[in-house]
Amino acid sequence: MPQSTDLLQGTLDLLILQTLALAPMHGWGVAQRIQQLSKDVLQIGQGSLYPALYRLEYKGWIRSEWQITENNRRAKYYRLTRTGRKQLVAELAGWDRLSSAIASVLGRAAEASS
Amino acid sequence: MISEILTRLRFLIFRKRRTELDEEIEFHLEQAITTRIAAGMDPAEARRQALIEFGGVEPTRERCERQRPAWWIGTVLQDLHYASRGFGRNPLFTITVLLTLALGIGATTGVFSVVDRILFRPLPYPDAGRIVSLGFVHSLERQEFVMGRFYVEWEKEQTFFSAMSAQSTGVHNCDLVENDPMQLSCISFQASFLPLLGISPVVGRNFLPEEDRPKGPPVAMISFGLWKGHYNSDPHILDRTINVNGDSARVVGVLPKDFQFPTLESADIITPFALDPAVQQTVNGGFGYPERVFARLKPGVSVAQAYAQMLPLFNDDIKWFPPSAKSETHFSIRTLRDREMQEARPVAWVLFGFVVAVLLIACANVAGLMMARGAGRQREFAVRSAIGATRGRLIRQALTEALLLSLAGGLAGLAIAQALVMVFVHLAPTGIPFIGRAHLDLRIAAFAALVSCLCGVIFGLATALQKPGLAALNAKASMSRSHAFWRRSLVTAQIAISIILLSGAALLLRSFTKIEEQNLGMRTGGVLTVNVALPWWRYNTDQKVMDFYLRLESSLRRLPGTRAVGLTDSIPPGGWQSDFRFADVHVQGKPPIPPGSGGTGVGRSVTPDYFRALNIPIVRGRNFADADRTGNEREVIISRLMAARLFPGEDSIGKRLLPGAQIRSGAPAIIVGVADNVKNNGLTEQSDPEMYTLRRSVPGDWSGNHLMVIVDSAMSAVAIEPWIRSEVSSIDRTIPVEMEPLDQTLNRLADRPRFETTLLGFFALTGLVLAVVGLYGLIAYMTTQRTHEIGLRMALGATRSHILSMIATDGLRMVLVGLAVGLGAALAVSHMLKTLLFQVSIYDPFTYIAVPLLLSFAALVAILIPARAGTRVEPAVTLRAD
Repeated sequence: MPQSTDLLQGTLDLLILQTLALAPMHGWGVAQRIQQLSKDVLQIGQGSLYPALYRLEYKGWIRSEWQITENNRRAKYYRLTRTGRKQLVAELAGWDRLSSAIASVLGRAAEASS
Repeated sequence: MISEILTRLRFLIFRKRRTELDEEIEFHLEQAITTRIAAGMDPAEARRQALIEFGGVEPTRERCERQRPAWWIGTVLQDLHYASRGFGRNPLFTITVLLTLALGIGATTGVFSVVDRILFRPLPYPDAGRIVSLGFVHSLERQEFVMGRFYVEWEKEQTFFSAMSAQSTGVHNCDLVENDPMQLSCISFQASFLPLLGISPVVGRNFLPEEDRPKGPPVAMISFGLWKGHYNSDPHILDRTINVNGDSARVVGVLPKDFQFPTLESADIITPFALDPAVQQTVNGGFGYPERVFARLKPGVSVAQAYAQMLPLFNDDIKWFPPSAKSETHFSIRTLRDREMQEARPVAWVLFGFVVAVLLIACANVAGLMMARGAGRQREFAVRSAIGATRGRLIRQALTEALLLSLAGGLAGLAIAQALVMVFVHLAPTGIPFIGRAHLDLRIAAFAALVSCLCGVIFGLATALQKPGLAALNAKASMSRSHAFWRRSLVTAQIAISIILLSGAALLLRSFTKIEEQNLGMRTGGVLTVNVALPWWRYNTDQKVMDFYLRLESSLRRLPGTRAVGLTDSIPPGGWQSDFRFADVHVQGKPPIPPGSGGTGVGRSVTPDYFRALNIPIVRGRNFADADRTGNEREVIISRLMAARLFPGEDSIGKRLLPGAQIRSGAPAIIVGVADNVKNNGLTEQSDPEMYTLRRSVPGDWSGNHLMVIVDSAMSAVAIEPWIRSEVSSIDRTIPVEMEPLDQTLNRLADRPRFETTLLGFFALTGLVLAVVGLYGLIAYMTTQRTHEIGLRMALGATRSHILSMIATDGLRMVLVGLAVGLGAALAVSHMLKTLLFQVSIYDPFTYIAVPLLLSFAALVAILIPARAGTRVEPAVTLRAD
């Protein structure tokens, strides 16, 4: 089993929003897609996935509706709302800022040690 | 079989509502299983792994639930529900806490609302802390006054006051002459008086400076009460001209409704003071007339600084005083609050102390009960924690319970407080300033509620805050040792505090009975006092005054049933009376008494029947005779105390003296008799020596226009009152008459100590009840905690009386320690009551024996009831339990 990485605080919301931005999806799909795209590095525990989905829905960033899957099974699909889309843009910008900051700190550290 | 079907049926009908979340999770699991089967896994194994991967379904559901914005409201409701169920299961605890809170909050709020009015409320003037009263004080007049001549100088030379203003020394009777004459009270003050206080009239304006001058235009201001009551709030009141004592004056203003004179007097009509500096230099021996002077300190100036500045001025002035007055006159300056509160202060502070004590007891009670309950619930908390409740959740539960109790107790307390305030205001004697305006103070209620609730919350939380250990799950007797010690200490402290309260109240009660039972030296029952004040502007000569009263005397004597009719200028033991300085009395043939020594005495100008009407025995010599009234000789009767002071070891009869202040010159008066001592300095103060001068039928003996007639009649007061009224009006129909049986007057004098005693007694009883409730609660609780132990002991052969004595000894030990500590503390603080006590030592042995006995008795009952219940334990039952 691939080693899972702990998610940085708050990044789960970003990942869910990003995943849903591609297409509406049910909870299982969201978890699978994240796992797939991260090449099995990120495994979302169900214990945090569903609370996160509920939280985002209460915030009004995503909306849910019951639909029939390709296997003729009823499932709850989540889709991004307009405010959710705006939020995604804001969170992406925040993430970029954070990751470039971390990268530059680490880059400098690497230079010093070499 | 059937039961199984029923169970299944029940789950079918009452199955848990499937939420969307359940369905969602189910879908998720299905997908996980399908994926695994597709990968070639055995279906059972696929399901197992999927479930393992998913983790707990229940925690997930709860965490999703918690995302809901209003989630916490639901849990609060849950807490409330749980709490109320807990209270219902434990009514003894609930009722005790509620009772404690209600009594504690109610009593403290009620009494504090009343005391607060007296002690801490701001005076009704802006920036009142800077208003001071200043002037001379001496042994005969303890309220500051300034002679007019010096006032003029002071006002000119002082620099520390932003304003200084004077009013006349007191209200005087005056007549509002209209179709129907009305006797009112009048006063005068300077135009600068209202601005100094920071008050402006509600209608019209203040006096103008040109009106406040000698021979200025005649104007007056009237009180709000007179405007509203007599003039029906006439909007055109400012156009009116009223006739006061025969002089007309134009109304220029109406005082505000809540206006209060700094002297706390009430007056209906105010005229300009019209100070004339030139006149003040000549009248009254060049001193000018006395007046009351108030001033406003400049910002940043302290009372002490002002005193230091004024003292040299005062020292210059005092040089002019006669030597006899010099040593007894001092300069005084104090804040207005101090002047107004001088008498109420000690009572208020004692009450305040009592409030704090009762609040402490209530807190200790709530704390003890909460701790006891918390200790009993350690196991419950441990169980809840084990099945997944977080610490925060447990703490919130405890907090909810404490707050719920406090809220209920607080509400009940408010109701009690409101009732108490009404009772107190009703009971309060007239002399206590502001009490009529006392009302339930919500800030104080909030304070009392906060304090007692904090106790509950803090101690209620103590158990929830401890990490519930596994040990608590197994423990049988879960009461921890340190908690038990604290609870015992709390009960001991309560007993100690209630001893202090009870002994304070008992001392006051003893003092009050002494006041009521003391021998006044005169008869008070069946004697009617008739108060007749003549308007001085019509009775403007001594002759007219004498004629009126002599006619009244003879007509009252003719009434059926009359035994004696005495005339006097004052009546003991309280109220206004004419004082004299002992040192001013000159006995013929004896060296003068050194000035400043001997204090003061009481002088009374009476007719012969005075002694008969009040049944004051003449112990030596003789009473005045009716024949003396027309004679030339001045006769006096002195009291036994006075005789002993003036003529120690000799016979005073036939000696001659000049009675000082009243009669300074002329032929000395002769002492014809010695009367027994009469209480003449209020009910509680040491009596002063007294001298009666005969009121002869010569106009010179009738100065002043306010005499009292004492009627001793065989008829009841109710029967003769209308007769007396008609006799007075047949002489002059405009004269108002006030009548009151003397014992009623005396009863009113005792109002104040009665009020104090009632308040403090009530408090002490509240304290006692609370302490006993606390003791009872603790013993009852500890007994139930020890049920198991008791059962074991009994199984091993202990008898019921063994058990009873075991529990009782435990309780009595706390009581005894509390008694000892409390008695020590009570003796230590009892000196605070000293000023309130009359003829009772602060170490009164009766009090300090009776109070511990009473408390021990109450405590014994509180211990024995639960202890006896403890002995009814059935060993077999308790041992099998758990």
